Amino acid sequence: MLIQIFLLLILLAAMIMTRKRTKQRALSRLEGYGWMLVWLLAAALVIKPDISTWFARTLGVGRGVDLVVYTAIIILLILVFRLHVAHEQLERQLTELVRKEALQTVPEPVSAPTADQSSEREAA
Amino acid sequence: MNVIAVLPAYEEAPRIESVIRGILPYIPIVLVIDDGSKDETSVKAQAAGALVLRHRVNRGQGAALKTGTLAALSMGADIIVHMDSDGQHDPSNLPNLLAPILNGQADIVFGSRFLGIASEGMPKTRRLLLHLARKFINGYLLGIPRDITDSQSGLRAFRAVAAKDIDFRQDRMAHCSEILRLVTRSPWRWKEVPTKIRYTKETLAKSQTSADRVLEILWQLFMGAFR
Repeated sequence: MLIQIFLLLILLAAMIMTRKRTKQRALSRLEGYGWMLVWLLAAALVIKPDISTWFARTLGVGRGVDLVVYTAIIILLILVFRLHVAHEQLERQLTELVRKEALQTVPEPVSAPTADQSSEREAA
Repeated sequence: MNVIAVLPAYEEAPRIESVIRGILPYIPIVLVIDDGSKDETSVKAQAAGALVLRHRVNRGQGAALKTGTLAALSMGADIIVHMDSDGQHDPSNLPNLLAPILNGQADIVFGSRFLGIASEGMPKTRRLLLHLARKFINGYLLGIPRDITDSQSGLRAFRAVAAKDIDFRQDRMAHCSEILRLVTRSPWRWKEVPTKIRYTKETLAKSQTSADRVLEILWQLFMGAFR
């Protein structure tokens, strides 16, 4: 069927990209193999959808396609969540960086009685 | 006593000068944290007699407050006051805010909009929202005692030792709730005092709609739990 050819082409492109990125070391070797395995499994499912039906039956889900959709949604949710957490961490690091820069110009209080003490502390 | 007022400011150029001039008679050192404004906020603040630190990139009100608090501590402040820079906090509140610390009755003082003094121009929706927030969100979701009357007030004063100890990390709006939770669970003595707030068209236009704000604060606190 046409959809099979279409999906296989996309998966082939994904495999080529994965290989390229692994060679560029943007992905670690382990990650590269992991993603390759995901694409190969997906390709197997596209070529022989019966596998998923058989697997779905054993798990108690009606159709193979349903199982694939459920799994995909769960995996996507996990990935989105991980991205969110990573993003928050980046935000926090950025704040730390910006703060560090801002604090380099902390002014000495002009008329404050403890100004001398604080400069002494800095010197020490 | 060395008192430093910390004002986080983002794009407040039209208002910041008069706000600073209003504070200076009460607190001689005003430290403005320009949170990556693209307008003249820094220049105007300096012209009005404030000390200015600059975040090169906008990091949010909580982040700017934290930067200002750390700077004030290193400048040798004995008392650190957090204030909004849009002029909604009437500077004549400041003696009341500082009194409990100066008398030795409290280590941390919060300004509350709901302790008797009527606020000018507070929209009904805002009042209802703050009331509901107090009833439900504070107690159940945030773990803030319900005797806190105003969980989102930006006016507070710390003794330096307490400010050093209260380590808030929320960069954006959720820092108000976070500070309250940290303070009410700490051994520091805290107190709420009545304050008067001026809501003007400008301050209201700048703040988000109420519902957006609640969702955003809850979301930030939720994500904060996974850091």
